[in-house]
Amino acid sequence: MDEFELRYADYSLSSDQEAVRDAFNEFFRNECPSERVRAAEPLGHDEKLWRQLADMGAASMGLPERAGGDGAALVDLMLVAEEAGAALAPVPFVEHVAASRALADAAAGRAPDGWLADAASGRRILALAMEPAGTGLAGTGARQLVPGGAVARGVLALDGDALVLVEADEPPSPVANQGSTPLAWWNLADGRRQRLAEGPSAEALYRRARAEWKLLTAAALTGLTERALGIAVEFAKTRETMGVPIGSLQGVSFPLADVAIGVSGARNMIRRAGWMLEHEPAEARPLVPAAFAYAARVATHGTTTAAHMQGGLGFTIEADASLYFLRAKGWSLLGGDPAEDVIAVADALAAGYR
Amino acid sequence: MDFSRVRLDTEQQEFLAEVRAFVAEHVTGEVLEEERRTGSGFNERVHLALGEKGWIMPAWPADRGGAGLDPVRVHLLDLLTRRSGMPTVTLGTTRLVVKAVERYAEPGLAADVLPRIAAGTARCCLGYTEPDGGSDIAAAKTRAVRDGDEWVINGSKIFTTGAQNCQYAFLITRTDPELAKHRGLTMFLVPLGSDGVEIQGIRTFGGERTNIVYYSDVRISDRYRLGGMNDGWTVLRGPLDEEHNFGQKGSAVQIGGTSLGATYVYPLERALDSALTWVCTTTRRDGSRPVDDRSVLYRLGQVAIDMQAGQVTPGPMGRVKASDALVHGAAELMDLVGPAALLSESGPGAEAAGAIEFAHRFAQGTATYGGTVEIFRQMIAQHVLGLPRPAYPGSKVLVSNFR
Repeated sequence: MDEFELRYADYSLSSDQEAVRDAFNEFFRNECPSERVRAAEPLGHDEKLWRQLADMGAASMGLPERAGGDGAALVDLMLVAEEAGAALAPVPFVEHVAASRALADAAAGRAPDGWLADAASGRRILALAMEPAGTGLAGTGARQLVPGGAVARGVLALDGDALVLVEADEPPSPVANQGSTPLAWWNLADGRRQRLAEGPSAEALYRRARAEWKLLTAAALTGLTERALGIAVEFAKTRETMGVPIGSLQGVSFPLADVAIGVSGARNMIRRAGWMLEHEPAEARPLVPAAFAYAARVATHGTTTAAHMQGGLGFTIEADASLYFLRAKGWSLLGGDPAEDVIAVADALAAGYR
Repeated sequence: MDFSRVRLDTEQQEFLAEVRAFVAEHVTGEVLEEERRTGSGFNERVHLALGEKGWIMPAWPADRGGAGLDPVRVHLLDLLTRRSGMPTVTLGTTRLVVKAVERYAEPGLAADVLPRIAAGTARCCLGYTEPDGGSDIAAAKTRAVRDGDEWVINGSKIFTTGAQNCQYAFLITRTDPELAKHRGLTMFLVPLGSDGVEIQGIRTFGGERTNIVYYSDVRISDRYRLGGMNDGWTVLRGPLDEEHNFGQKGSAVQIGGTSLGATYVYPLERALDSALTWVCTTTRRDGSRPVDDRSVLYRLGQVAIDMQAGQVTPGPMGRVKASDALVHGAAELMDLVGPAALLSESGPGAEAAGAIEFAHRFAQGTATYGGTVEIFRQMIAQHVLGLPRPAYPGSKVLVSNFR
């Protein structure tokens, strides 16, 4: 993107978007206090909360109208992800939305039996394999750790030149992990498989789904970091040392200011990237990985700072800050090493110079 | 949310061509070379040519010496002139002072000064910082004492950039040392031709020339006072706050970015552009190019990401982020290019590296301009996060004694 190009830079939300954000903010604040997050550990899935969320239309809003959805834009879904992230909601919103949007696009010609309706209602959960099948570490074969895989009945994957839907009657066993998210190993060569698309269109659908997963995750991480910052700020306002609130000390307030700088920048970056992916995908090439890598970095730094701000207390599992700290990495690594996104940014920029 | 290209109508396209022609005619290689040599942030011929176009105060109507430009044209003008490398420091300080003159100068002074500012014959610099005061502007010790219809000014100001090319200094003085720190201040528009004003040049390793200005028994008429006596803090903050709120949330059409540090990103853009050219066109002895090396891509990617963050981080947060991105990014690009990055712009072998070498030096000043990044972190802590203000002995009262 030529930064001297004359473009609007309007990051504001429309009144409809504000209504979406406020509704989900209220929902998660009411329904998902930290006790509920803890109660869902170690699996990281609360089926009742997922049903409530689906009843609000969260599973269907991003699907096209022909697939029973509301045709919401990616940036609108990112607002929901941000609120879910702020509450650390134990629901597979990001995975399900990214995968079911790809399924709906792929299935425009051939609809897999009942899947679209079940995806729209949230009855059957979908997930996305984050690497093409068979390209992982040596010795893993067709097995892959799939985010949301421990609660999913279907996984979308790129296998060779085909986009496939791999189905299971029951999700595979969960694997315990740092972020308490429902991770599971899926064998993408096993089970019922449906070919949804082939060739360049399969690859394009898969790339798009991955990009959407990254931006939705980046939005969740941004919400997560902002809420962790809020916890630390409240602590710093009330905790005293040597007769003054610790938040008046610049050794405390400056690191918190740096987190605020990170959060506000990450939010604008992901919004611009999300808008661009929807409207001008070619321009989004360096923007999407940049937004993801930045949000991931800000989350690690921000939750580290937030936990440390409470000293030893922030290091205990009773502190909510610890829940945020563990999920910052627990979510940002699910799609692979963020350094690959950093490299992708430079690769996209260098394309104009080669 | 809207990030689409601004579609220019025929008249705006014509305006674009007009600005391009202006830049080609006036911002010549000679002008750029002179700026590199002097670092003065000003070129009189270019400034007067801008004035003739009405582009010093471009949004003003023609009868006030402006060009009646709409916000889109103003933005186009700003983008193209900045991209050309046109020196803009004195233009920027002059525009900042205009707002205070419009609002606070007595009508006779405003009528005298404003048309000359628009024409380019009057320029203004900022007399804020004192040699021992740093960013704590409200601790000003420069004294102004009333004597009948006149004021007598004594003291010194540092970093009065552009003073050697300006006719007026927007000066903050202490008029009542007995009052609380922020309340005993008064602003003046001091004619720099007055007896007792001495301007001494200072050079920075960023290549800029700035000044220390001594005021020794400088007598000026009361007509040069801006705003009420002891009301200087309001007069000084007004234009600043306006500047800080400009184009934030609520403005219907926001073009460009909302980062207060957006202009600090420009040298990093040029440096990154040089680095990308270098990694793609340089061949190592083994036949590979740096761009084929993933560690090189990773480092470039981090710089590019922070650069983007510097552009899009809003308001005062963006001021800190943009400066940090430039400081760290330029240093990283220096390392990436290696010893050749150290070569000065004109030297052989420095074709790609000049912009990086410059950015690395220039970057350091951006962490201080308009208040250090620490001042801004404190503002963010207090006003964005709502953290309690630090209780230092001198934050509200003057703690040092002076004449």
